[in-house]
Amino acid sequence: MLSVGNQNEGETLILMKQKAEVLQGTLALMVLKTLDVLGPLHGYGIARRIEQISGDLLAVNQGTLYPVLLKLEQEGAIASEWGASENNRRARFYRLTREGRKQLEAETKDWEQTQAIIGRFFEVKAEDLS
Amino acid sequence: MKTLRRFFARLGGLATKQAQEERLKEEIAEHIALQTEENLRAGLPPVEARRQAMLKFGGVEAMKQDYRAARGLPMIEDFLQDLRFSIRSLNRTPGLTAFVVMTLALGIGITSGTFSMVDAMIFRPYPVPHPGNVVTLVGTTHDSGFDDFSYREYLDIRDKTKSYDGVIANTTIEEVGFSAEPNATPRIRGGMMVSGNYFRVLGVEPRLGRSFRDDEDQVPGRDAVVVLGPDFWRREFASDPGVLGRTVRLNGKNFTVIGVAPETFPGMMIFYHPDLYMPLAMASVFSTDPQKNFFEDRDDRELALRARLKAGTTLRLAQNELAVLAQNFEREYPKVSHGRGAAVHTQFQMRTRSDDVNWKFGVIFNVLALSVLLVACTNVAGLLLSRARARTREIAVRLAIGSGRFRLIRLLLTESLILALLGGLGGAAVGYGVTMWFQSKQNIVFMTDLPAAIPFQMNTRVLMACLALSFLSAFACGLAPALQSTRTDLLNGLKSAEVDRPGRKRLWGRNALVVAQVSTSLMLLTASFLMFRGFQRTLIEGTGFAKDHLLMTSFDPRLMQYNAAQTKQFYKLLPERLRQASGVESVALMQSVPLGLDEFDLGNVTFVPEGFQMPRDSETFSSALNMVDEGYFETMKIPILHGRGFRESDTADAPLVAVVNEHFARHYWPNSDAVGKHIRLDSAAGTQVEIVGISQSVKYVNTFAPPTDLVHMLLVQHPMARMALMVRSSGDPLEMVQPLKDVVRTLDVNMPMLHTMTYEDYYLNKAVKGPGIATELASSMGIAGLLLAIAGLYGVVTFNVSRRTREIGIRIALGAKSSDVVRLVMGKGLVLVATGTGIGLAMGFGVERLINSMLFNAGGVDVVAYAVVVPSLLLVTILAAYVPARRASRIAPTQALRYE
Repeated sequence: MLSVGNQNEGETLILMKQKAEVLQGTLALMVLKTLDVLGPLHGYGIARRIEQISGDLLAVNQGTLYPVLLKLEQEGAIASEWGASENNRRARFYRLTREGRKQLEAETKDWEQTQAIIGRFFEVKAEDLS
Repeated sequence: MKTLRRFFARLGGLATKQAQEERLKEEIAEHIALQTEENLRAGLPPVEARRQAMLKFGGVEAMKQDYRAARGLPMIEDFLQDLRFSIRSLNRTPGLTAFVVMTLALGIGITSGTFSMVDAMIFRPYPVPHPGNVVTLVGTTHDSGFDDFSYREYLDIRDKTKSYDGVIANTTIEEVGFSAEPNATPRIRGGMMVSGNYFRVLGVEPRLGRSFRDDEDQVPGRDAVVVLGPDFWRREFASDPGVLGRTVRLNGKNFTVIGVAPETFPGMMIFYHPDLYMPLAMASVFSTDPQKNFFEDRDDRELALRARLKAGTTLRLAQNELAVLAQNFEREYPKVSHGRGAAVHTQFQMRTRSDDVNWKFGVIFNVLALSVLLVACTNVAGLLLSRARARTREIAVRLAIGSGRFRLIRLLLTESLILALLGGLGGAAVGYGVTMWFQSKQNIVFMTDLPAAIPFQMNTRVLMACLALSFLSAFACGLAPALQSTRTDLLNGLKSAEVDRPGRKRLWGRNALVVAQVSTSLMLLTASFLMFRGFQRTLIEGTGFAKDHLLMTSFDPRLMQYNAAQTKQFYKLLPERLRQASGVESVALMQSVPLGLDEFDLGNVTFVPEGFQMPRDSETFSSALNMVDEGYFETMKIPILHGRGFRESDTADAPLVAVVNEHFARHYWPNSDAVGKHIRLDSAAGTQVEIVGISQSVKYVNTFAPPTDLVHMLLVQHPMARMALMVRSSGDPLEMVQPLKDVVRTLDVNMPMLHTMTYEDYYLNKAVKGPGIATELASSMGIAGLLLAIAGLYGVVTFNVSRRTREIGIRIALGAKSSDVVRLVMGKGLVLVATGTGIGLAMGFGVERLINSMLFNAGGVDVVAYAVVVPSLLLVTILAAYVPARRASRIAPTQALRYE
């Protein structure tokens, strides 16, 4: 009996993990796009911007943004340096690197292709296939 | 690319941990501050504004954890953490740590020390570039798999094979009369004759000057050039580069020094490092068989052949090619090549040849040493197990607050790894000591001034083995305790430091350890005792000849460029004049002294016994041969069992005669009298030799070799150049040295005397001290194993006592007598000892068979060995169990009941 429960728990964990990974990937793309459009921004600025556009994706747990930023920085897609925020306090500003721009372009292209293919599938009607 | 960059960034993250942590903290603070301001602007009261901001940010700690995981490399960070923790916790029990490290150091050290032996004798590659494709070519006959080739055969093989980038030949000239100045008395140095392409094919560049040119090997006697060995150059010429072009005298002939071999190339052999390299074309100057023409006779087989396999050629192809060539030899030269094949061997195959005893010693010792390491590991495992028990509560707490079991096992294994690596470090030191000990035996192993060295060292391969052994022992002694202690029952573990679930399962492992220890050390003791007894027995058995009052020395008139007639004259006059000296009882000349320097000192004779039904697959037999004079049997006091010994009437012109040993006579004429029978030399149509006597079989090569066939023939009938002289004196043999020198001087002022010593000294070194090294080594391992086993058993019984202190207290309080307690506590230990002894006996029998099959061939079971070893083992182990049991019986009940 107990073991069945454990198993379910495990599955849920795995699902959660997968979902988180998808979220992280999406989030990374959003960060890149945001920095591309708005130029250098600090963490809070990026969070605000994503919140405005995506609605509730980042409404809670804005903190999850920081591990994503770190990963992108380690990969060389973005760079960061200290700067002054609007209220003249020290803040960490992130900007897109050339590497990041390339990555964004590639991902955009991928996304558009995927979108086009999926779109065509949705448009297909039964009689088209006969 | 991306992944790689990230990996380096993370690696960097390990180092900049502190700064990054600060940065994150600051970023979070700033984020929340900005959000709070935003909320304030939206009209929230300050406290609520901050609360909302924090809610929106989410769990800070969880995020930090994610951040950290992404920043560094958690595996490495965990490991470093484990490392720090382990060092701290080992520091808390310095006594235990030191004991464990020493135990492991002993085990690992003995193992790696003996491995240095196996390494030198089996694994160390030739000191040349690309040693892997250097192979050895050997001739095969029906009774030898490792025969040499003649010069003619070498030329054919060199020119007609296609599998090799060059075939080289060499022959060891153990004694070269060397003098740097023309008129000085020659001193003996070790040399080697090599083919002209020797250094080129091996890829050895001389350190100074040049090596031989191929054409320096074409014309017999033309190119008197010599290349010096690196050590010799250093010793004899003080590394003087001006030595090039100098003239030195070798065996009375002038040679020009053309080069010096590099330091990295001590030679191709394990022990023998040549001082001088001469081209084969100069063979007439050196000790080749005077009966034969080195350059023409196809059966003057004195050359060892090596070759470098071409890239893309397999051993099998080369093998087939050579086999075909050998068949051609058989067809073309049936007289000298009949029944001879050829084979190609790798270095490994050559080093582990079945007729060599040295590497077998190495392997046996390594097996024994591994058993010592096993005992050491089981000992340490037992200790760690006890330690883990004492930490039950700590481990239970860790498990309770959510530490993973795997993570805990890793922590515990890190601890044993540290112990094992420290042990490995100590082991390297102990191993170094063992190799130094081997080096110190140099003079015993090599009694001559030959350029030989014991090549056992702690090189990279041995150190790697040391490291591997450390890891192995870390797992061997750490895994079981780690597995067992993390399987704690949480509830009980938290309640008390000392838990034992009901049932005996927990103790099973520890008991098995003690049994393993006792049995392994019994096996070790048996092995060392058997070896000791084996050598002892061969000494008691006796050698069959007299050893006292004998002075031995050797001559080689070829060193003085004597011709055959001069040599004959020298060996005729020398004994004659010596016999007239006062104090001399008898004198003998012999090709090889008993227990000669090595088996190659003895000659070999190919023969056909007359009237003997030859087996179908062979047309001749061969036997060891010793060329002696008529004084031999008397001087060595070897009894003639039947017939007669040699007489002065057996002159060069008289019919050829031989004296065979008893083994030989029984071998070929089991049911009739060998005396009066004839053998024919070389083939059924060869020269006839009459057997005139049968001598008692004695030990010829070493004291533990099984008896072999041996034929004695007469020096005057078969002249030889290099002979040993044995003088039997009425008084101290050393007093004969001066009279002997005087006599030799009357014959030739410059004639060198080689290896002059009393035979008794020689015998002591060869038969007593040499084997003594082996026994010493084996018994020190046996004793090490026993000590470890005693410590292990003592530990287990003590541990049991401490675990049952309260129970024993209650028993005593209820009226148990101290003898009852002793019986109770010891009972378990005795059962373990008995089981271990049983298993150890079985293992002992196995080792005995191994030793018998490899070394002594004593046959049967040595009951005495077991009768000594088993009771003494039982005695000490019982004592080891009794001491703590006795202490347990003195436990005061009042104290025991309060004990926790």
